[in-house]
Amino acid sequence: MNRSSIQTNVIRVLLLFVAQVLIFKQITFSLGGFASIHCLIYPMAILLLPVKTNRSVLLVLAFLFGISLDMFYDSPGIHTATLVLTAYLRQVIIAFLEPFDGYNMDDVPTIKKMGLAWFVSYIIIALLLHIFVYFSIEAFSFVYFFEIFLNTIFSFIFSFVTVLILTFIFRTKY
Amino acid sequence: MYNVLQLFVRYGAHILFVVLEIICFYLIINYNQDQKQIFLNSSNLYAAKLSQQQARITQFTRLSNQNDSLLHENANLIENLISIEYASSKIPSADSALSQYRLIPAQICNSTSYLRNNHITLCKGSREGIRQDMGVISSHQGVVGIVRNVSENFSHVISLLHSQAKLSCSIKNRAGHGTLVWKTMDPLRMTLESIPKHQKISIGDTVVTSGYSTMFPKGILVGKIESFKPISGGNSFDITVKLFNDLTDIRYAYVVQNRFGDEQKNLEKDVKDE
Repeated sequence: MNRSSIQTNVIRVLLLFVAQVLIFKQITFSLGGFASIHCLIYPMAILLLPVKTNRSVLLVLAFLFGISLDMFYDSPGIHTATLVLTAYLRQVIIAFLEPFDGYNMDDVPTIKKMGLAWFVSYIIIALLLHIFVYFSIEAFSFVYFFEIFLNTIFSFIFSFVTVLILTFIFRTKY
Repeated sequence: MYNVLQLFVRYGAHILFVVLEIICFYLIINYNQDQKQIFLNSSNLYAAKLSQQQARITQFTRLSNQNDSLLHENANLIENLISIEYASSKIPSADSALSQYRLIPAQICNSTSYLRNNHITLCKGSREGIRQDMGVISSHQGVVGIVRNVSENFSHVISLLHSQAKLSCSIKNRAGHGTLVWKTMDPLRMTLESIPKHQKISIGDTVVTSGYSTMFPKGILVGKIESFKPISGGNSFDITVKLFNDLTDIRYAYVVQNRFGDEQKNLEKDVKDE
């Protein structure tokens, strides 16, 4: 991790936080009364950190990020629990998608470095997991499984498209 | 010590993960009203469903007993009806705006009766008009308890056999009123307190509700005085009341809806606030 990499990541985390709280929090609407759509792009703050980032660092960062986000969402713990789980499972997903020749020390999960297919499958798995867990914890009971399922699917599609657009707009080196 | 350190080095991230998630769930359950309710209720939801099924099966085996008790109740009602009919030629119909109390029949799907604090779950809830703090009676002779919590389809009743339950009662045809509490572990006997010593009472007198609360109408039969003794040094009697109905064996109950209850409460609250 060199200096400009740290700089990029810090700025990205802050920007994602501000964007999620100020803009994407407002974009919450219900689709025909049966599914409510939330636009969650903040998991990217954790997902886009360099591949070899220490797991404990990820977890602590996710916890702090989630707690601050929950203050704005008035839901102490829900986003935090979800983000910590996502940060924990990130390594599993990355290991699952490992290319033939393994990862380099300085690999970062970007389209330029890892290729579009790798990036898209990485984001799909992680984001879907994150949104599903988020709605499950929010409902807190699998009695509402159907609602959780619908909310997850629609929110995922919406968030995923937003994330893709954002990554194409902000092409960062790290 | 070295091993412990090594454990932390190797599994530090996993331990950290578990610790952080525990903190999160602690926050979720303690600071989010919805999740707290669900956490307390969703276990109850399954439990209540299960006991509802159980009640449906066990109920089948009690049909003849129930039939008997229903017949008795009917007979009682008809008796009353006849006596009223003789007394006045005009009876206001049951659902006219004049009648203050309305009864909501409900099946009991779960109950305890051998604990220190007993509870009853009714298979009807706010959807049928049951609200918090309504009284529950079992037939025309027998108070069951007071509704404490209501969900959409179930309501949770504090039984009379509960250490916190207090019921304002009076003795039929005598002055004064006291408080009925459950001090013994016997589900058939309760204690009537604070009937002053100068009142004349005798064994066999009937204890009825006083009607001073908004929960129960006046004159619902509760039980019979079995024995009494003056409290030494006190100003009141210690009266043991034998209940008419056996709370361990009830399958149906009626929730008493008092149409003027809110009005009375608001009025009394206004006075208190002044």
